Amino acid sequence: MNYFSRLITLLVLAISMSNYAQTADEIIATYHENIGGIDKLKAVNGIKLSLKINQGGMELPIEVIELKDGRQMTKITFQGQEIMQGVYDGTTLWSTNFMTMQAEKSDAETFDNFKLGLNDFMDDFIDYKDKGYTAEMLGIETIDGTEAFKIKLTKEPMTVEGQLVDDVSFYYFDTDNYVPIAVQTEVKEGPGKGMMSEATMSDYQEVDGIYFPFSMSQGVKDQGSQPVTVVSIELNPTVSDDMFVFPDSMESDGGN
Amino acid sequence: MKTLKLTLVLLTLPFWGQSQDDAIKNGKALFGDLSARHIGPALMSGRINDMTLHPTNSLIVYAGTAGGGVWKSSDGGVVFQPIFDDYCQSIGAVALDPNDPDNTIYVGTGETWTRNSVSVGDGLYKSTDGGANWKKIGFENSDRIANIVINPNNSNEIYVGVLGALWGDSSERGVYKSTDGGESWEQILYIDQRTGCADMAMDPNDPNVLYASMWAFRRTGWSFESGGDTSALYKSTDGGKSWNKIHNGFPSGDLGRLGIAIAPSNPKVLYTVIEAEEPSKKGLYRSDDAGNSWQQLNNDFGITVRPFYFSRIVVDPRNEDVVVKGGLSGSISRDGGKTFKALGNMHSDIHDIAFHIKDSNIMYVGTDGGVYRSMNGGVTMEIVENLPISQFYHISLDNAKPYNVYGGLQDNGSWYGPSSSPGGIEAKDWESIGQGDGFRVLKHTTKPIIYSEMQGADNIWRIDTENRLIKTIQPLPADEAVKLRFNWNTPIAMSSTHPDRFYVGSQFLHRSEDMGDSWDIISPDLTTNDPMKQNQEDSGGLSMDNSGAENHTTIFTIAESPIDDQVIWVGTDDGNVQVTRNGGKTWTNTVANIPDLPANTWTYHIEASVFDAGTAYAVFDGHTQNDMSTYVYKTTDYGASWKSIVTDDIVGFARNIQEDFVNPDLLFLGTEFGLYITMDGGQQWLKFTNNMPAVAVHFIDLQPQTNDLVMGTHGRGVIIVDDISPLRELSSEMMSKNVHLFDIKPTVIDEKSDFGGNFGAETQFVGANPNQSVQIKYYLSKRHTFGKMGIDILNAEGQKVGEVGPGKKKGINIVSWDYRLKPPIVAKGKTITFGGFTSPKAAPGTYKMVMTKGKDTYEQPFELKLDDTLPITPADYEERDRVSKLLFDMSESLAYMVYQLDEMIGHNTNQKPSKYSKRLNTLKESLVITTGDNYVGTAEPQLREKIANLFSKVATSYDRPSANDMENFDRLSKQMKEAESTFESLKKKFKNMDQLALKDKVSFLETAN
Repeated sequence: MNYFSRLITLLVLAISMSNYAQTADEIIATYHENIGGIDKLKAVNGIKLSLKINQGGMELPIEVIELKDGRQMTKITFQGQEIMQGVYDGTTLWSTNFMTMQAEKSDAETFDNFKLGLNDFMDDFIDYKDKGYTAEMLGIETIDGTEAFKIKLTKEPMTVEGQLVDDVSFYYFDTDNYVPIAVQTEVKEGPGKGMMSEATMSDYQEVDGIYFPFSMSQGVKDQGSQPVTVVSIELNPTVSDDMFVFPDSMESDGGN
Repeated sequence: MKTLKLTLVLLTLPFWGQSQDDAIKNGKALFGDLSARHIGPALMSGRINDMTLHPTNSLIVYAGTAGGGVWKSSDGGVVFQPIFDDYCQSIGAVALDPNDPDNTIYVGTGETWTRNSVSVGDGLYKSTDGGANWKKIGFENSDRIANIVINPNNSNEIYVGVLGALWGDSSERGVYKSTDGGESWEQILYIDQRTGCADMAMDPNDPNVLYASMWAFRRTGWSFESGGDTSALYKSTDGGKSWNKIHNGFPSGDLGRLGIAIAPSNPKVLYTVIEAEEPSKKGLYRSDDAGNSWQQLNNDFGITVRPFYFSRIVVDPRNEDVVVKGGLSGSISRDGGKTFKALGNMHSDIHDIAFHIKDSNIMYVGTDGGVYRSMNGGVTMEIVENLPISQFYHISLDNAKPYNVYGGLQDNGSWYGPSSSPGGIEAKDWESIGQGDGFRVLKHTTKPIIYSEMQGADNIWRIDTENRLIKTIQPLPADEAVKLRFNWNTPIAMSSTHPDRFYVGSQFLHRSEDMGDSWDIISPDLTTNDPMKQNQEDSGGLSMDNSGAENHTTIFTIAESPIDDQVIWVGTDDGNVQVTRNGGKTWTNTVANIPDLPANTWTYHIEASVFDAGTAYAVFDGHTQNDMSTYVYKTTDYGASWKSIVTDDIVGFARNIQEDFVNPDLLFLGTEFGLYITMDGGQQWLKFTNNMPAVAVHFIDLQPQTNDLVMGTHGRGVIIVDDISPLRELSSEMMSKNVHLFDIKPTVIDEKSDFGGNFGAETQFVGANPNQSVQIKYYLSKRHTFGKMGIDILNAEGQKVGEVGPGKKKGINIVSWDYRLKPPIVAKGKTITFGGFTSPKAAPGTYKMVMTKGKDTYEQPFELKLDDTLPITPADYEERDRVSKLLFDMSESLAYMVYQLDEMIGHNTNQKPSKYSKRLNTLKESLVITTGDNYVGTAEPQLREKIANLFSKVATSYDRPSANDMENFDRLSKQMKEAESTFESLKKKFKNMDQLALKDKVSFLETAN
């Protein structure tokens, strides 16, 4: 049975039962089932996404690699220069400084919070109870014009400006097909602190039996957003270790 | 019975609603990307009702505002964010659960400083996740909530002080208690239908000890009464089971509003401020024995002034002798209440004060003009600059480009400001054009003249903005026997056909044909002239309060028909709807023809139709008679008959309606709780909630050139919904299609400077600008979630020149193309060349948007136009674009050359350094920067940088390239030719060129970034 016929079956089911009877657990299970099944999701060892964003006419290609062992990187290319962001080699989280084009380590708090997400490869909701997360069904709300289940996901507490705070996200799952179409999170630091950030997801397409959103937008709720287009997704990509390794300029300068 | 009810519901369902049930049940499923834009202003901010601090985190501050919702600061009061936009914006009290202050927040709605213009509340709300989600937990008809007190030892035990209805009897008032976290409530102190709980306090050491002040009060449209024999201060020592009056030492006779405060550092010390019959007995009283006895300490003006507005006492949490009292200026005592001095300079009318939890030098003060911070114990005060909670009574628009918004504010004068400004609409963009309580402001349609009205026509200023000259033009009585009665919010109006004509309403309609220099009265008294409603000098109760705000039996709205200037509509605050069809010679009161409208309901607005002289809409506001119903009527026969166009979809009493200029069935209604829109002449209304708070909308106008809907809100400033024209096209037929494309309006290329400065924007509110890009608008009948969807932009030749990320919403989508073309590929160097990031603007002309959605394709052409108001010619543009293109190509040719050169150098590095390899490197070093960094370590620019810089200079100019630009261009062309020739000769000498497998130029450019 292909994905779309499964969807139609679901639709018929949805009509025959009360939506509010749905628990967060059921919605999450159906979501995993609809995008390919939990086993398939767990079998993935790495993912490579080629993205593009458009900034005032300029198209920026972005490459993102995430591996199950936690290593990851984001590479933005322009004018032949490669800018690395959020690269983790298993020990160090680092990014390229745009002014000097040198690698610099992330601050300790960012790194600590980053490490909390290492168990979320592919999807926050995989084994979410085992990870100590809670998911609470808040009800049905209209978002992007369509009805969605609103689920509050609480993950490990994170540290913001030295204080432990709850890491809460609000996921919106389309009531027609149970895939997430939006996520909202309160901005926890910086000038936008207290605002609600919002990401939306659409253009779900299949890659090796798993459905991924090929279009996203990111911004602050009610204040405009930046579209992100997924050009391609490769599962279990071939990587080399040196793609992630922190090039320590202090060490190499000292050595020479 | 059930069946009957169901049948009735089915019968009243509009036909359109039945066929399109799914699509139009919910405004959120329709309005999509049509979103409200907030432009403030915030520089004068607005009225604050309550300040609340987090008990343990000193950085967290809440402001409960009179009409603009709840705002939270997480940085000690520097920057605030709204956290309550979807609910009633009039706030009485905000409280945090002391046991869970990060998550559990209570908001009691309905402001409690009961001036005439107060908004109403609709209950108590609770959040258990720090304000992200809210649930109403009762008190639907409480109107206003004064206090919420939570037992610090038991989160489930909550006390709520309900002040209750201001405009009528109500038994939903007094003190309530919950023992289950707000699930259920018990009324534990109730006096009568006109006496509510005005203030409450709990002993911090013994939560069973409670104090509650009860206040008898009532407003009507024409009077205010504070005080009575039921006003009293009560104490309970058993958690509210029993209450006793604690009046030992109180003045005799009736009491008015009392404030109560406990010294947190010594709960035996209490302060109350008493409104009493005898002026000498009013003022501050102190008890040092937990209320057993009281002693009067002070009856200064600052302590006794306007009790209904200022009865707030706050004691320093660390010092029982430091007391602050709200007031006209606010007063502070450091000797236990014996003497007071005024707080530092700030906006007048101080309603609440909060001391920092650790340092009493730091104070937060809520006023009629926003929140102030003090770092030195109230000596100097600084205003919070990003609370756009201004309270407009009225707004109007002009036809400038960009158009300006004019309006008057509660206690904050009158202003006008632009709908768009470089860098955003900042505080400095607003011009002050009046004082006091500002009301209606109108711009003369052809001359640089603004009319601005203040407080019951005390002044109607005529301002010559060109010469900065001001004169007052309000009509004065010419007849000894006649006293003119002007409403606090006096109506003024203009004619759409006679630019110098100007109207003012007292009980008569005054008309001037010379901009207010001379006046004719063109009506009899159009009001009920009820003498019972004309005794304002007796208003106030125990404290006389004849500010003029209660003037009644006056004209409130005036509308000359845009079709026929002999047809004039007049509505009065005591419920008349008068019309003349002969320019004022004879008048007909049509109110008797209005079905189901209670007598004397305030005629708040009459909208004369732009389609037909006999058609008008009338909006009535009954809330000052304690009637919260919505009343909107339409006539098509000069008032001979009226028909209600209200449905159950609407929540809140209405104040204003705006008719569309194109589609007579498209109407916009402003109520106490937000904006409602109908597209079928009122058969069904949808609430508009996209970035639109549930704020009281006092006035709506529609700008004819831009089709922007502009709202004057009473608590969130000016809010604009840009270009509502897609709503004109919505029909059930259109909405049955999967995709409907709206016309794309011709877009003018914006060449204007965007130097805005934005200095101070870190902490100042900056209003959003409208979108200047090409706006592609379409309707989707279902959200696009699966499969591909994309939008390409093609030029007239069919070449793709851009790509846009499409919107996927069900409903109206609006996506922008910023008419920027891609920047050139630049040669790879050690660093970035900033000139190479220049995206040239697309040329004026015809373009096409092509949307692909799954297997379907949709196309829509559009125009990009030159700004013909600027000194730019098409020939200038063409020359600019021609030279830009040459430089663009030059940059890409250089990029390809450097690519080949890099490959050749790379190949040679394996070999011994030679003269040849040195020549390769020398050439490269002359083409691009090979050292340094992107900041101050930058190296000397080379050919790449020079080409990119000239490209940027030419392409970003509005003008043709200058002679000097062209000299520079010639020089770079020459250098480029020389480089090419050097490169070609090196290439010829290169051995093994085939081993390099070089890409050809086209494929190089396609893959390079």
